[in-house]
Amino acid sequence: MEEVEMAAKKRDEERVASAPAYFDNIHTKRKLLSLINFILLAAGSLLILSPIWWMISTSLKSMAEVMTYPPTFYPHEWNWGNYIKTWKAAPFDTYAINTITITMLVVIGSVLVNSFIAYGFAKVPFKGRGILFAIVLSTMMIPGFVTLIPQYVLFSKLQWINTYYPLVVPAFFGSAFFIFLLRQFYMTIPNELIEAAKIEGASHFRIWWTIGLPLTKPALATVAIFSFNGAWNDFLGPLLYLNDENLYTLQLGLQVFKGEMNTQWNYLMAGSLLVLLPVIILFFFFQKYFIQGINLQSGGK
Amino acid sequence: MRKKLNYKRMEGLQGYVFILPWIVGFIAFTAGPLIFSFAASFTNYNITSQMDFIGFKNYENLFTADNLFWTSLYNTLYYVLFSIPLTTAGAIFLSALLNQDVPGIRFFRTIYYLPAVLSGVGVYLLWMQLLDPGTGLVNTALGWFGIPGPNWLFDPDWTKPALIFMKMWSVGGGMLLYLASMQGVSKSLYEAAKIDGASSWQQFRFITIPMITPVIFFDIVTSLIGGFQIFQEAYVMSNGEGGPVNSMLFYNLYMWKKAFESFDMGYAMAMSWILFIIVFLITIINLKLAPRWVHYEGEER
Amino acid sequence: MSKIVLKNVYKHFDKKVTAVSDFNLTVEDGEFIVLVGPSGCGKSTVLRMIAGLEEISSGEFYIDGKLMNDVPPKSRDIAMVFQNYALYPHMTVFDNMAFGLKIRKFQKDKIKKRVEEAAELLGLEDLLHRKPKALSGGQRQRVALGRSIVRDAKLFLMDEPLSNLDAKLRFQMRAEIAKLHQRLKTTSIYVTHDQTEAMTMASRIIIMKDGVIQQIGTPKDVYDNPENTFVGGFIGSPSMNFFDGRIVNSQFIADDVHINIPEEKMAYLREQGYAGKELTMGIRPEHIHLLTGEEEAELTNSILSKIIVSELTGADTLLYSMLGTQEMIAEVESRTNVTAGEDVYLTFNMDCAHFFDKETGVRIRPEKSAVLVG
Repeated sequence: MEEVEMAAKKRDEERVASAPAYFDNIHTKRKLLSLINFILLAAGSLLILSPIWWMISTSLKSMAEVMTYPPTFYPHEWNWGNYIKTWKAAPFDTYAINTITITMLVVIGSVLVNSFIAYGFAKVPFKGRGILFAIVLSTMMIPGFVTLIPQYVLFSKLQWINTYYPLVVPAFFGSAFFIFLLRQFYMTIPNELIEAAKIEGASHFRIWWTIGLPLTKPALATVAIFSFNGAWNDFLGPLLYLNDENLYTLQLGLQVFKGEMNTQWNYLMAGSLLVLLPVIILFFFFQKYFIQGINLQSGGK
Repeated sequence: MRKKLNYKRMEGLQGYVFILPWIVGFIAFTAGPLIFSFAASFTNYNITSQMDFIGFKNYENLFTADNLFWTSLYNTLYYVLFSIPLTTAGAIFLSALLNQDVPGIRFFRTIYYLPAVLSGVGVYLLWMQLLDPGTGLVNTALGWFGIPGPNWLFDPDWTKPALIFMKMWSVGGGMLLYLASMQGVSKSLYEAAKIDGASSWQQFRFITIPMITPVIFFDIVTSLIGGFQIFQEAYVMSNGEGGPVNSMLFYNLYMWKKAFESFDMGYAMAMSWILFIIVFLITIINLKLAPRWVHYEGEER
Repeated sequence: MSKIVLKNVYKHFDKKVTAVSDFNLTVEDGEFIVLVGPSGCGKSTVLRMIAGLEEISSGEFYIDGKLMNDVPPKSRDIAMVFQNYALYPHMTVFDNMAFGLKIRKFQKDKIKKRVEEAAELLGLEDLLHRKPKALSGGQRQRVALGRSIVRDAKLFLMDEPLSNLDAKLRFQMRAEIAKLHQRLKTTSIYVTHDQTEAMTMASRIIIMKDGVIQQIGTPKDVYDNPENTFVGGFIGSPSMNFFDGRIVNSQFIADDVHINIPEEKMAYLREQGYAGKELTMGIRPEHIHLLTGEEEAELTNSILSKIIVSELTGADTLLYSMLGTQEMIAEVESRTNVTAGEDVYLTFNMDCAHFFDKETGVRIRPEKSAVLVG
């Protein structure tokens, strides 16, 4: 009798003892993990941001301060004038106008033409559509240099060297990646919508214009941003095709500027930051569309 | 059965109109150049005066008489072999951290992604400064831990690690890709695993990882194709030379010098075809290996 | 208005699968035709061929005597309501309804008048400036209807328009579509898998299975005189009971149950050589009645059976039992308090029973004998 009671009592005690332990276990452990997680992420983001801070900081220092050892963490003297001096040290305004011109044309071409092509691949049935789309995808696998050299030959025979044509014209003939991205998006639009419009009497061109374009706006924003980034950051194209300094883009100008400035890091960083700034601003305003582009990719394969 | 032009056939024709820009672009900027390049790789073409058929001479010289070809191939393989596993693992790790209930996830996501959208000469200049042995941030930071930093871009042994290090900064691009796919994994799978007694690590290992293998596969395939084509950073950071001691002479940079500095176009095009074949074989191997480890949900192939 | 004719229409996909075979139909002006059948029976394909969204593999399709096979959808003068409504999400209700008119280059004030008329008819006046996202399911359905009626098309096609609505709304919209049709009298073809919708709305029903028409007739006709076991089973809820058995001496014998067959039916069964043969008898649950007194049971054609489940549906009670080894459902008055496990007498109203050939499933008709003799 006693034994049984003892055993029961012991069991109760165990239950009482284990209950809070169990409770603690699941909660403190989760809290601790999430804290570690947070600290890791915070430390990581400091690491990620430090180069950008360094760039800003260096760009504001005097040359003497840049050269001090050990380096200072923030400028002791804020030389905002560095930016003006940098801008004036090279024809950056010409570079900027040139870059904006090229970028605008590339963005317009990419958005309109790729949307048009992608609509065809997604919503108009025709013979050989599957095979042709497979070819579109497989061209993404071709290393750029394989076609770059013969393209250079082509453009030089067309007397297009030292013009913007080689940089802009190809954007009006579609890009495999953007076609793929937009087609993915078009596939999410129900076919019934297209069919309803057909019955109402609209042609495919009209459907593309009045229904396709408005409904794919988010994906078009993604294409606009990606193509903006591509054109703005393009270095290889201008390097290959532009000889006249009046035609130089910001990327090319910055490279020349680098040669002239040698190791005057404050001016170089000021120049770099000015060139990167539009992309950074674009990123903070339209982050959503960057991320959407990524999501469309990951859903695609 | 009906041979005349009925409306379905008309619709098919409209489809071709939609993809016409791509077809023209494909012929002019991809297929045509590919054919030309392949043919010219068997000649001594120099864009201006000569184009004589010389058989396999270019390929023969590359493999037997050109040490720089092997150097550039080695440099490229080195870069690919280290940068891809590191960036892939880093991106998966980071996305796993971000895929938790952490406060400020949107903020962190923005921060980590930012470097991935920055590219071009500005970024390379920034890293040249960061990696500067005297005034740069990297060695300063290493100094705090008593680690004497290497000479990075001035030491042939450290130039490639320097570029890989720089590449790691933009790991956030891959991170977003993985995060999107992790967030697509059904919650009920984790709940089932918890009830089966799986720990957090086991859930990650046996649910998260298998479910995101399609994206890992996509990432690896595209990064391999991209990795073999490293050019801009090496060009800018070595002033187009590929030094010191040819340690940054990557495949594409060597090809560039052959094509556009010594105008050995035929030779350069032979090089480009070798690269194409390498990339093609690696992609095929990837595709063949995929069924062994890539898990596709549902009836997708 | 319009009359449509489909003649020997076939649809093959990829030259292998035949989705529709030998489809023949004539629709008179102002009819409301319902195509009904289980999913995959080809009913939607027929509708899409009429709309011009699918090509007709072979056969002919006429509207008002004009061959339409090669006419694109936009020139067929049809309107269509889709299952998921297919409203343009970036346009307001007004613009959705006006889209087709704009494309057909109607004048602005005329468009406005037409849209407003249709909106009034459907009670959408206050929603014209909303986008589809801000509408309830029923409202979207109305907009889809409105979009189709503003064009005043010759032919009105509807592809399962109610299947995305909940039961109550479906009931309501069903009545509304019927009312609309009575008012506009536009020739309509309506596709559904729901036999209740078919029964309540159609002027004629077409029942399809595996791409083949099983029967065409008025709702009453297909209900009372199903052409074959499939139609008998598909139309009506709960389903018709089917019993396999044989005919011996004016009796239908299934397992050990004997049921007398009325002489009038027996006459043509005998004539067509079914006496002594295996066949299938079909009888609707409402034609099986419950007998209260044992004396009554003695007099009529009745069997004693044990109730397995008794289900009260509201107005009626469904009694599940067995006829020998075969399942049987009887629909009786809800007032009868029969519980599971109870033994009751059930009687068959054999005047309403049907006999089907066991091999082909085709109903054995009295007329047929005349044809055979003649």
